[in-house]
Amino acid sequence: MMFRLFVGLFVLAGFLGAQAPQEVVLSASTSLKLGVAVPAAQVQGLDAGLVARELHGTLLRDLEEAGPFSLVRDAHPRSTEPPAYKAWVEIGADWLLLLKAARLQGEELEVVAQVIDVKSGKPGFNRRYHGQDRVLRRIAHTLADDLMARLTGERGVADTRIVFVRDLGGGIKEIFQVDRDGLGLTQLTFHRSLTLSPTLAPDGRLAYITFKAGGPEIWGQLKPGAAHVRLYPGSGTRNIGHLSAPAWSPDGRRLAFVQGDRRGNSDIMVLDVSSGRARRLTDSNCINTEPSWNPAGTQLAFTSDREGSPQVYLMEEDGSNVRRLTREGGYNATPAWSPTGAMVAYVSRFEGKFDLFVYNLKDGKSYQVTTGLASSESPDWAPDERRIVFTSGSRGGMQLFTTDLSGQTLRRLTDFTGAQSPRWGRSR
Amino acid sequence: MRHARLIVPVAAITVLAGALACKPPKTPEQIQQERQAAFNEGYKAFQDGQAKGTNPYANDKDNPHKMEGWNEGWEKAKSDKEAAEKKAAEEAEAARRRAEEEARRKAEAEAAEAARRAAAEKAEALRRAATAALLDINFDFDQSAIRNADKVKLQAIADFMKAFPDAKVKIEGHCDERGTVEYNLALGDRRAAAAKAYLVSLGVSESRLETTSLGKERPKVEGHNEKSWLANRRCEFKLL
Repeated sequence: MMFRLFVGLFVLAGFLGAQAPQEVVLSASTSLKLGVAVPAAQVQGLDAGLVARELHGTLLRDLEEAGPFSLVRDAHPRSTEPPAYKAWVEIGADWLLLLKAARLQGEELEVVAQVIDVKSGKPGFNRRYHGQDRVLRRIAHTLADDLMARLTGERGVADTRIVFVRDLGGGIKEIFQVDRDGLGLTQLTFHRSLTLSPTLAPDGRLAYITFKAGGPEIWGQLKPGAAHVRLYPGSGTRNIGHLSAPAWSPDGRRLAFVQGDRRGNSDIMVLDVSSGRARRLTDSNCINTEPSWNPAGTQLAFTSDREGSPQVYLMEEDGSNVRRLTREGGYNATPAWSPTGAMVAYVSRFEGKFDLFVYNLKDGKSYQVTTGLASSESPDWAPDERRIVFTSGSRGGMQLFTTDLSGQTLRRLTDFTGAQSPRWGRSR
Repeated sequence: MRHARLIVPVAAITVLAGALACKPPKTPEQIQQERQAAFNEGYKAFQDGQAKGTNPYANDKDNPHKMEGWNEGWEKAKSDKEAAEKKAAEEAEAARRRAEEEARRKAEAEAAEAARRAAAEKAEALRRAATAALLDINFDFDQSAIRNADKVKLQAIADFMKAFPDAKVKIEGHCDERGTVEYNLALGDRRAAAAKAYLVSLGVSESRLETTSLGKERPKVEGHNEKSWLANRRCEFKLL
């Protein structure tokens, strides 16, 4: 039932990808905003309040947070017919977005979204979405992402999720997820144990560390939606050293992870998941951890204290060509390579607290994103590279936040503390 | 009637026999009574210790049932006595066995109780010694080197492990909150390895020591000041 909508959405995404190049109205970098007016949806056979809240309300919020849209809030003209287009233009609308939500049969419903370019008078975007009552929010997110794609050529991130570790008390931590808008909190693991360090493959497969067997093991999914199984070490292996920090490669076939040796050094390894074979990338008398792949899967950023203090380094995927990225500060860590590969986010410690920084690989400069009294840790990028999710808080009460790259529009995602290690992903 | 022709001769023979007899014939009831009386006499004779040969009716040719009854009585008394003796012997044997079993069980229970008490005492001794010896050691900020002040504690742990050769210990490395999650997991592992290496240098077998790291995931104290951070930068030693 839920599954049918997912399939529908995937098909839709595939369809979008296969389409001929679309007309792109604005480039993503322009500061000009497109005025969108969204009158209340026409509703047939459905609870109007539910549609207003779950579809219309969610869509407005998604469009507002997407960036390039400006919502027209002035009193709307009564008519949406061609003679009234001029009146819509006068209140600042470029697009008039008309929504119809109707019950088909049983729990099945259809949402029709149509965009009219009120300046030219031409109808543009026109799409139908099918699903059930309880997925109206998902339909709104998908529609918002489709409108972003139509406007900028890039899909939006309304229909994305953030997986993270949540402290349940009593020494138990489990992996949870929330939708990008902070709603839809869902528990993903049930190990009743210390469970840490989630990572999402591009197809939505989860991997993480759990201490359910006493010591740390890497668990995760071999297929999307599949049950969670132990990925490493293989059965029959014991005493292989401390395991931490798994990271799916962009092709979803390999897992970078960290393994401790007898002398307490930590090295970055790469596990070929199908064969179960692990290869060592670093081999030095120090700590190497927090591997993060570049989007091509050809290089890794990581943290190492090989020169005395923790710093961010880059290397090739075979472990060669190690070079230091961060130069300033005594503690730079947790690199997160951006989705286009152009930037590396990381954290830098000053007076015992961390702030987020972004290193621009093109000009070799880094700049500070967050500045605050609280400690901000564990950055990860939105799939569209416009925002960064991270944990922030003081006195151990870490919550999930997102920020744009300027650090100007900070949003708190959750209303509970005890969150750590967020990872932002598109698929589910 | 088929045997009608025999009636006259039989009657004649009977009358003749009756005339020939000296005494009147005994009824079956009388014979039965006499036989029972002789049986009782025989039974008593045996109980009185008389031999079977003393049967007073041995030569009473006219009353063979008395001789038989006496003999039967004597034999019955004898078999009754033998059965009673056998039963008594069996009961005595069973009682003896029960007593033996009881004694064995009691001895076993006492031995088990003694062993249990000894094991409990040993476990208690182990627990007390472990509690006394397995104390946290602490670390400097971002460091994993064993501090001089903690070497005495590690020596005490090594001494404890020599005193209890079966004891195995898990070393857990921990960190304060001022590092990243993953770096702290690696740093905790390094602290545990440093503690283990020091214990091995004091003669503890490596096979008796396990290490793991919990990074900053399990702070010992919740505070957010120098004192709390020092308490949280630690290795814990746990009996396996």
